[in-house]
Amino acid sequence: MPSNDITPTRSVLLDVKKRIKLSKSGHKIMKMKRDGLIMEFFEVMEKAKAMRSSVVSDYEIAMERIAIARAVEGEIAVKSAAYALKNEPTVTVGSKSIMGMMVPKVEADVSKSTVLNKGYGVISTSAYIEEASKAFEKLLVTLVRAAEIETTMKKLLDEIERTKRRVNALEFKVIPELEDAQRFIKFRLEEMERENTIRLKFLKSKG
Amino acid sequence: MFGRKGKKGNYAYTVARVKAKKSALLKEDAYSKMLMMSLPEISRFISESGYQKEITELTGKYNGVDLIEHATYANMANLFKGILDSAEGELKDMIAADLERWDAWNLKVILRGKSYGLDMEQMKEDLVPAGKLGLAQLETLMGYGSEEEIIQAYGKFVDLAIPQNVLATYGEEKNLAVIEDYLDKAYYERLLLNVDPSSRPKRLFQDFIRNEIDITNLETILKLKKEGITGDVILGYYIPGGAQIDKKLATQLANADSVSAMANDLAQLDFYEDIKDALDDSKSLKDIVAALTKYHRKQAKTFTHLYPLSVIPVIDFMIHKETEVNNIRIIARGIESGLDKEIIKGLLVV
Repeated sequence: MPSNDITPTRSVLLDVKKRIKLSKSGHKIMKMKRDGLIMEFFEVMEKAKAMRSSVVSDYEIAMERIAIARAVEGEIAVKSAAYALKNEPTVTVGSKSIMGMMVPKVEADVSKSTVLNKGYGVISTSAYIEEASKAFEKLLVTLVRAAEIETTMKKLLDEIERTKRRVNALEFKVIPELEDAQRFIKFRLEEMERENTIRLKFLKSKG
Repeated sequence: MFGRKGKKGNYAYTVARVKAKKSALLKEDAYSKMLMMSLPEISRFISESGYQKEITELTGKYNGVDLIEHATYANMANLFKGILDSAEGELKDMIAADLERWDAWNLKVILRGKSYGLDMEQMKEDLVPAGKLGLAQLETLMGYGSEEEIIQAYGKFVDLAIPQNVLATYGEEKNLAVIEDYLDKAYYERLLLNVDPSSRPKRLFQDFIRNEIDITNLETILKLKKEGITGDVILGYYIPGGAQIDKKLATQLANADSVSAMANDLAQLDFYEDIKDALDDSKSLKDIVAALTKYHRKQAKTFTHLYPLSVIPVIDFMIHKETEVNNIRIIARGIESGLDKEIIKGLLVV
């Protein structure tokens, strides 16, 4: 805050003091939030790492199963079974709060899908196609969960960056400037006090 | 229903035709060679081994592994159709009843395609007219507007009266599974009815069918058990007429807590030795299915050299042809998908 913008009065001093107090407590809370977010980020990162390896392994299993199903039963049979499907998996997108930050909560619902209600006959449908279908349902759940975790991680990173900037702004700009302003007002008030005393002494000596 | 007391059949002519065709089938070592080939090499190899006509016909429409799959299916369909057309009397009835599985397959493809909204050309690509119904009749089915009309027309074509309760359930639930499961049950019921067990070769054929019913029933029980389904629900899919798995045993198997708990009940069955290693809850269902398929083909081999003037050589050829088509596809698709050679070998039935 440039000193020529400051009116050196007691009320402004009180206001600046209040703002310094508020900024310091804000700075403390922001620092705590930043540390909390960093801790949360590391936890999410571990989950994301595990989830990435699950995605890779589930994808490999699903691709192998579908390759076997296409080989044993033929592309025609696999395609035909896919056309018969009645239940499409649903994806529900919600949100949850981590330290006041909203992150997505995504859930894939494939639980209702059993061999009885898929839309094709139970007797003739090959176990190879059924296993491929199960593997892809599992992959879908893992992918959706991975998407949720990766988005949370990205949002956490953005939030940490933003909080860090705010902490730095408070620590290195806002609070020092307010303290400078406080010092300037105090100095000016003291100066005005001294000028007043001298003025009074001068008037007394004249009278 | 087909006439069981009709004309005897032209066994000598049909068997002679079939034997000539069987000698042209790929030998076991051909599969090992194919495993070392690329897809274009496989196409070329099979076109030099009896599939040239179909490969040439379809080469403008498909390429790569799709060409191989469609050409092998088309070749099989042409051969089966030729055998059916040349057979007469009770032999024709038995072959037709056996090939009805392909009619049911085509009906399922049409119904699924229709419910998904495919047009006629798209559905036609997936048909394998290897049964009694030719392409013209299948096109007529595809021409109908609704699934109900298709089912009714199919019933008329193959002389199958689909029960009202099945149609009503389909009407309510709009789930094709009801129709498909009925077709599979009806297929075995009609096939058994068409094989008059008055002679030894026909009894052998009937035993083979009963064995297939056992395998199908066991596969269904295992499929449902893996999903955690037990009891009466499983029994709803039971196909009567099996050789070893009767209703009582099926109930015991259906009520078992897990796949491994079924081992005791299965120990009395002929194929137990072939599948016992795969009977573990932690193992994949496809291991058991692969073991059962191999057992079924092994069973077929036990009677193929017997009774040269009977239905047996014809059925034996059709089994071998289908196995050849499946094996070619397994190799081609396996190579295309980059499957490990050992996995591909494990899937082959030789």
